[in-house]
This record gives sequence, structure tokens and C-alpha cells, in this order.
Amino acid sequence: MAEETAPPPPAAAPPAPAIAPPAAIAALEAALGDRVLETKPQAFPPIVRLAPGAVIEGLTLLRDRPELRFDFLSSVTAVHWPKRERPFDVVYHLYSTTRRQRLAVKIDLAEGEEAPTATGVWPAANWHEREVFDLFGIRFAGHPDLTRILMPDDWEGHPLRKEYPLEGHPRDHLQYREVGTAEHVYNYDKATIRGFGWKKEVEKTGVGRG
Amino acid sequence: MLRTEEMEINMGPQHPSTHGVLRLILHLDGETIAGMRPVIGYLHRGVEKLAEHRTYAMIEPLTDRLDYVAAVSENLGWCGAVERLMGVTPPPRAEYLRVVLAELQRIASHLLWLGTHALDLGAMSVFFYTFREREMILDLFEAFCGARLTTNSMRIGGFLEDAPRDWLERVRHFLKIFPGRMKEYEDLLTKNRIFVGRTKDVGLLSAADAIALGVSGPPLRASGVSYDVRKATPYSAYPEFEFDIPVGKNGDTYDRYLVRMEELRQSCRIIGQALDRMPDGEVKAKVPKYIKPPPGEVYHAVESPRGEQGFYVISEGGEMPYRVRFRAPSFGNLQALETMCRGQLVADVVAVIGSIDIVLGDCDR
Repeated sequence: MAEETAPPPPAAAPPAPAIAPPAAIAALEAALGDRVLETKPQAFPPIVRLAPGAVIEGLTLLRDRPELRFDFLSSVTAVHWPKRERPFDVVYHLYSTTRRQRLAVKIDLAEGEEAPTATGVWPAANWHEREVFDLFGIRFAGHPDLTRILMPDDWEGHPLRKEYPLEGHPRDHLQYREVGTAEHVYNYDKATIRGFGWKKEVEKTGVGRG
Repeated sequence: MLRTEEMEINMGPQHPSTHGVLRLILHLDGETIAGMRPVIGYLHRGVEKLAEHRTYAMIEPLTDRLDYVAAVSENLGWCGAVERLMGVTPPPRAEYLRVVLAELQRIASHLLWLGTHALDLGAMSVFFYTFREREMILDLFEAFCGARLTTNSMRIGGFLEDAPRDWLERVRHFLKIFPGRMKEYEDLLTKNRIFVGRTKDVGLLSAADAIALGVSGPPLRASGVSYDVRKATPYSAYPEFEFDIPVGKNGDTYDRYLVRMEELRQSCRIIGQALDRMPDGEVKAKVPKYIKPPPGEVYHAVESPRGEQGFYVISEGGEMPYRVRFRAPSFGNLQALETMCRGQLVADVVAVIGSIDIVLGDCDR
């Protein structure tokens, strides 16, 4: 890992004193206690893992504390770790437009477990959570409009899960009709060349349709 | 007595002013927008899934195709993210060349936006003017790396090769003539009564709304928030250059126009400084032939012409990333469309979409 520290605010930065992200971690630890499960202050950006039940409280705190002010939600996404007991991570990337800091907040979820929605904290979470639902199948409790966003509405399955095949499920492939063996095709050609049974052959084998 | 009720109208996905395949379900009260639901995903290609099955070097061409009118910015972000993950620093000359390319790309992208935005509003001639200069930049890209749009210009650790002979002189030549050309666009638009009438106080977005909705890039700055990733969390060689972040006051379509016009000038300023102080030396850092970043994760953001372009990369130590997430600025900005359009007229929707400058390839991934 690159030894990344928060870059110093440039000359044009707002006059408020910059606060290092570990302060955000400290604030969370003070407020949430043992519901802060893990911290990685050296990562870029620093990572805090919260208990799923505490995430909305934590995010609201990060947004509202005047010395933190993580007011911009860059992205909400998820990661699938199928070998883990609780196989999903939901990751929130936050940014503070006044303090110029970034922070990542994570929660982990069991299969089928719902995450609380962050749309009440940032309206921006709306589409991001829809995307996570669409691609991972994670449901967000209390989301106003949890529907697919990138995939077609009638799609089955959630493509970014690790067990989902790269080329998609065979059932979703364009359906080409089975035309039979090489011998069959050869016979078919002979039949057409002879100039009889052309229509019958098409009806029987489906060759020549669509 | 006449019956009155809200009317539902589909705009797109095939509509010239939606710049691609954006579908809007409009709820109309007469001519006024009472509600709107953008429908996206028509251009979803599963790039994030695909990236989990490609090596790090093979993903760069995929990033070209995200925001296909600003491919260099995407390349820069991807290479920066992987370099940060590996702890590699490209040599200074490579960083300077990257900045020159990225700023040329910003100019080219803004020119495309300006031409089509004016075209949407009925000012056809601007389109021909801006494409004249955009063509020059695409020629520069072609001379640099052989491609005009999907450039795949960079490599992890720097560049494949140095810039061709005379290339920097050609960029300098472009810088010399560009300010005069910019005056031509401004003469055509800035005080044009029709253009001002179509854009001023149209599509208002307050600073608080913009931040809460996750809007970034010129639309956010037009609302008065000075957030530019180049200054906020600097990357590449940007800390070494002097430039200003233009900020708007009203957050309307006209301000978004003014902000982008000023950004064109600031980009020229950055390129000029980079050319003056261009260091000599290598253009590629020592990078292993098989790129295997150590386990870890990084969220690296760059300022693409459209806003905060984030790259969230998780490595498990293998040749291929475990998970890649592209944070698309168009995706974030499009969420604010309903807020901007509510209460406006149908014809204004065209102006507002143009002012967000979406690229659906970026939005849908």
C-alpha cells in the first residue's frame, strides 16, 4: 500500500482547521462504543467497520458533527465474499466538502439480511442502493423505491454475485434453435437441392426460421 | 367542464436531446413538469463484472468505453488507482504528460458539450465552431497514441513511449490559437438573448440540494460549492500547478455554462505551465511485467470533465482485481435531474439535460 496520508489542504482551502480522518474514527468510537467493529486508519481512504444496526446512527453523526461534516456521499457499493460466514460488505464512501477528507464506512451482512437505507441521510443514496440491490440482491429496509436500475426489470439473478457466471445464465442467452447434427444438416441440404419437401423440412427441424 | 389530469409522456430512450439512451417518464400538468422518473440502464454492459475477469492492464481499454468522450480522464483514474494500490510513482515527465493529456481531454469534452448544448437550444453554428477545435485535439491524441476517442493512452506506471517529436510544439500551437477561438464561442452565446433566455434561471439547483444529491463536477460548482477533486484530494502532478476553480452563484443552466467556459481557460493555463516546466527523463516507472498489487483496497477519485470519477479497487493479490467499482459522475449528477426540472416547462428539460452533460456509457457502465 502506498503510505497515503490525507493530502494537505491547498492554499485556497477554507479557513476551518483541517481534521485528520482518525478524528472521525475516534468520534465514532466514542459515540458507538463496541458497535465499531474494526478500523483501518492507514488505508486510503481510512476504513471504519460498523455493526449493521449502527450504520445509520454512525452516518448521521459523520454528516452532522460540525468538526467532521462528511456531507457528500460519493458512492454506496457492495462486495461479495462467498466464503465468509456473512458474505456481503456494503461500503459507503464519504467525502467532506468543507474538511476535504474521505472516509469509507463498511457493514457486513448475512445472506438475505437487509441493510437499513441511507436515503434518509443522503437522498443521493437512492440510486446507489437500487444499484446494489440490482447487482447483488441486497435489500435495503425502508428504501422508497427499491427496483432494478441497470438490468432489465424482469431479469433473474444478480450479476455481481461471485457465483453468477461471467457470460450470464444460459437461460438469458439469445435462444438459437437446435439444427441437429452435421449429418442432419447434410441431409437437409440434399433435400433442398432435390427440390422437394423444403417446407416440410423447415417445419420439422425449424431450420430456416427466425 | 373540461377534464384536466396529469399526462404521462415518454421522452427517449431514442431522442436527440437525451445524448444517448436516456429515457425520461415525464408527468405533465399542461406544459409544466409535475414529476419525472429517469430510466437508465439501456447501455449497461456489465463492465464491473467483466473487470473481475481481466488483468489490471486489460481493464484500461474497458475504462475508455465508460465515458467515451473523455477516455483519457478514465485512463488517468484507473492507472492512478492501481499505482496507488501498488505504491508505484510514475516519473515526473509521465505525470506532466498525463496532466497535459487530461486537460486537453477536458477541453475536448467541454467543446463537445458546448456544441451539442447550443445545438439543443437551436444555436446551430456553435456546433461547427467547437468541433473545429475538438478536431485539433483529437488529432493531437492520434499523434500521441494512435487513437482519437478510445485512446488507451497510458500504462500502469507511466506511458508506453514518450510523446512523439514536435508533439509538445503542436500542443503549444493549439494553446496559442485557442483563446481567440473561445472568444468566438462567447460572442455567439454569452450575451445572445435567445441563449440567455433559454438558460437563465432554468433548472435551478441549490448548493445544499446539490451536495445532498451527490452532484459533482461543473453542476456542483455552478451551485456555488468549490469542490474539484484536482484541488480537494490532489493526484498526479496537479499540486504543482496554479489554477482556479470557477464557481457559480445561482446554480442555473446559464451558470453551468459560465463555469465550463472558465474551466476551458483554466485548463489552458494548466497545460501552459506543464509545457513550460516539462521535465526530461523516463516516462515509465519500473513496474513488474505481471501486475499483482498486494492485497488491499483503494478508492481513488479524479476530476473527469463530468465530475468525481471514482475507482474503488479491491485486490486479493492476484493478477485480476477482486472487485472494481466505477463511481460514475453522470450517474450521480443525473439523480438531481428531477429536482432541477420540477416546475419547469417541457422545453426546459432539454436545456437542463444538456447542462448536466451526461454520457450514458458512463452512467450505465
